[in-house]
Amino acid sequence: MRLPNYAYIDLSTGTVKDYPISKELFTQYMGGKILGAKLLYDLLPAGTDPLAPESIVIINTGPANGTGAPSSSRFNMSFKNVLTGGIASANCGGRFGVMMKKAGYDGIILAGKAPILSAIEIVDGAISIRDASAYAGMDSEETQEQWVRHWGKLVIGPAGENLVRYACAVSGERVAGRCGAGAVLGAKNIKAIAAYGTQKAEVQNREKFDPYVKKWVKFLKSHPMTGKSLPLYGTAGLVSSANASGVLPTRNFQKGRFEHHRHISGETFAEQHLTRNSGCVSCPIRCERRVMVNGKEVKGAEFETVGLFGSNIENHDLAWINEINYHADLLGMDTISLAGTLAFAMELQEKGMADLGVSFGDKDNLLDVIEKIARREGIYGDLANGSKWLAEKYGGTEFAIHAKGLELAAYEPRNSVGMGLGYATSNRGGCHLNGGYLALLESIGVLTLDKHTPKGKPELCVMFQNLMEAVSAAGFCLFTTHTAVPAGLFKLGSMHRMTKFVSKALIGSRFLLRPLWWCLPWLLPVNLMHLIPHSKAYGLMTGQRMTAGKFLQIGERGFNIERMFNLREGLTAVDDALPTRLTDVPQEADVPESVVPLAAMLPRYYKVRGWDKNGVPKPRKLKQLGVR
Amino acid sequence: MAHTITESCIGCTLCQKVCPVFAVTGELKERHTVNAVRCVDCGVCGRICAKGAVLDSGGKATERVARKEWGKPYIDEALCSACLICVDACGLNCLKISRPTYQGDINACAYLADSKACVGCGICADACPLRCIRVRKAGTA
Repeated sequence: MRLPNYAYIDLSTGTVKDYPISKELFTQYMGGKILGAKLLYDLLPAGTDPLAPESIVIINTGPANGTGAPSSSRFNMSFKNVLTGGIASANCGGRFGVMMKKAGYDGIILAGKAPILSAIEIVDGAISIRDASAYAGMDSEETQEQWVRHWGKLVIGPAGENLVRYACAVSGERVAGRCGAGAVLGAKNIKAIAAYGTQKAEVQNREKFDPYVKKWVKFLKSHPMTGKSLPLYGTAGLVSSANASGVLPTRNFQKGRFEHHRHISGETFAEQHLTRNSGCVSCPIRCERRVMVNGKEVKGAEFETVGLFGSNIENHDLAWINEINYHADLLGMDTISLAGTLAFAMELQEKGMADLGVSFGDKDNLLDVIEKIARREGIYGDLANGSKWLAEKYGGTEFAIHAKGLELAAYEPRNSVGMGLGYATSNRGGCHLNGGYLALLESIGVLTLDKHTPKGKPELCVMFQNLMEAVSAAGFCLFTTHTAVPAGLFKLGSMHRMTKFVSKALIGSRFLLRPLWWCLPWLLPVNLMHLIPHSKAYGLMTGQRMTAGKFLQIGERGFNIERMFNLREGLTAVDDALPTRLTDVPQEADVPESVVPLAAMLPRYYKVRGWDKNGVPKPRKLKQLGVR
Repeated sequence: MAHTITESCIGCTLCQKVCPVFAVTGELKERHTVNAVRCVDCGVCGRICAKGAVLDSGGKATERVARKEWGKPYIDEALCSACLICVDACGLNCLKISRPTYQGDINACAYLADSKACVGCGICADACPLRCIRVRKAGTA
C-alpha cells in the first residue's frame, strides 16, 4: 500500500520537510477533509486565531485524485474556520489537486507566515517559495496567468489579501469557496501555489480498476440526473423545483417562493445564456455552465449563486448574476457568504437599523460594492466580516441567516426541515453539503419525503452526512452520489405511487438506521454499485479490502473528529442553532408547520450519532471509531 | 527510468521543442539534458533526433523516424465521456472538446484540434480512463 506523501512547509523560515503519514492514519482517515481534520486536530493548538501566523492550513488530495475515476479531481483545504472559529474544509474541482499529486505530493501543511507576499511552487517533487510581491492586488485570473497554461494553480484575489473573512481560493475557474479559504492564505502572505509534475497517481489493482471505471462512467451517463438533467440544466436546474416546493430563499429568507423565478430558472439559463456545458477534469457529468460575460466565455453561476444573488435579493436578471459571479471569482470571494451578507445588510437598511449602502431591488451599485468589499473600503469593510459580525454590531440576530457564523446556502429550510437540521449540525456552519443535503430528498428532487415532519430526518441526516463526508474525503465529487436514487423513479415521476411509497419507506427506515452506526462495518460487508460505487473504487485504487460499511464508518469517523475539533474550540450544542426566523416564524402564515422544529430533532440526532444530550460524542462511540 | 541525451548532441533544440512534458532543457548549440523525474519515456525526443544522440530508458540508442510516420490519436467518439483528462494531459494543447451542434446538445467528445502540433507521444491514450484513445499511423488499423 502506498502511503500519502505530505510536506510540512514553515513559511516563517522557508523550510520544507517531509511529514510522514502512518499506515494507521491513512487507513483510518483516508485523505481529503477527514485526514485534514485529524491533522488539524493534532497540530493546531486550541484557541489559535485562524488568521494568526501560528495557524495551520492543510491543502490535500484524496486517494482518488488523478486516478482517472469519474469526477475525481476534487481537492481539499482544511483550516480553522475564519467565520465560525470551528473546523473548516473547502472543496475545489480545479486542476491544482491533480497537478500537486502529479508533482509528487498528496498534501501540504502550511505553518507560519511568509515575511513578504510569496508564491509556493511544487515542481517534480521539489518545493520552493518565491517572492510574489509583484502580484499584489492582482485578480485571480491575472495571477494565474503568471504561470504557463499546463501548471495547476491555486491563487487568491484581492479579497484574500485584504483578509475578507469569506474570501475564497481559486484554481482555474473553480473555487475552494467557503469558510474563508482565501483569507487564511492571505494571512500567511501566500498569493499563489503552483504545481507541475508528470508522475502518475498509483492504482494498486489496475486490472480490475479500469473495467470498474468504465462500468461506473456508463452508469453515470445512463442515470437521468447525472446523464441528462445536470449536463442540460446544471445545478441551476433546481430553481424551478425549489420554487415550487417553497425552498427558494427570497428577500433574505423571508419567503420561499419568488414571483420572477422563471427568469432565473435553469431552463431559461439553458435557452438564453448557455453557450455550452463543460466540467472539471475527469468528470463525465459535465454540469458546468459556460456563458458569455462582456464578450468572453466564462463559468456561469451555480444554483446557490443564482438563488442568493437572484431571489434572495429580489433580482431576476440572470445575465447580471453571471456577471457578478464572474467578478466575485476575480476578486476571490465566496458568492454564498457574500450574497448572504448583502441580503442581511439590505434587510438592516429596510428596517432602518443600519445603512450599509445596499437595499433590496437595487442591484445597480452591487458590482461596485463588491469591489469595495474586497478592498475593505470605508463602511464596506464591515460587510467583509460576514452576517454574524454585522448582527453583533448592528443587531438583527433573528434574521442574520447563518449557522455558527457561516451563511446558509440557497435552500430555505422551513420547507425542508431535514435540511434545517443539517445546517444546524453541520460542522463547518451553515453548509448544505456538510449538512447532509436532505433538501434533495424532501423538496427539490424526485423523491417527496414529508418536508415538515421531524420523523426520520435525524436518522437520514446522519446517514447522508457520513456518506458525503466519506465520498468527499476520498476525492470524488458529491454529485456522483445522485445515482443513489434509482433511475426508474425519475421515469415514473414524483407523483407516481411507487415514488411516494419509496419516500415513505425512507422515513420508515429510521428504525433500521438508528442501530446501523453501532453495527458498522460488519452490517454492510458488501459493495453496492448502484448505491455507493465509491467504496469499491477506493478499495481497488488503494489495495485495501473495502466495503460499503467500512467506507461509511470512515465518514462517521470524519464527522466525529470534526465535531471534536469544534467542541475543543468552544462550539457546543448551543451553537447547533438557526436564526429564530427559521425556527419560530412560519414561512407561510397559513401553514404553521412551515418552521424548522429543531428542538424536536436535535435530541434524536444526538442519540443516533452516539453523542450525549450536550452533543458531545460519548467515550463508547469514540472507542468504537478508534478516535481515542 | 528516463531517456538520456549523449555527447553526440549538437544542441539543435528540436527535442526540446517537441517534448510534451517539457523535460528537455539546454541552450542552442550546447548539449541538452533530460529531467529524469519529469520524463515519461514517450520517446518523441528519440524519434526527432537526427544525430541518434538519445538513449531510451534501457540505454538503447533510438532511431530517427520521419515526422509523417508518427502516430496520431484516434478517439472512439461513442465511448468518450468528454471528461477532459486527455485535454488536460496534453502539454502541447492539441486536443479539444467538441462544441455543441445545437442549443441543448450535451453530447460531446474529445477530438484532435491541432494535428500539426501533435507529436504522437501517446500521453493522452495512456491517461484516458476509458481506454478510448489509440495512437496509430494514418492508414493503419
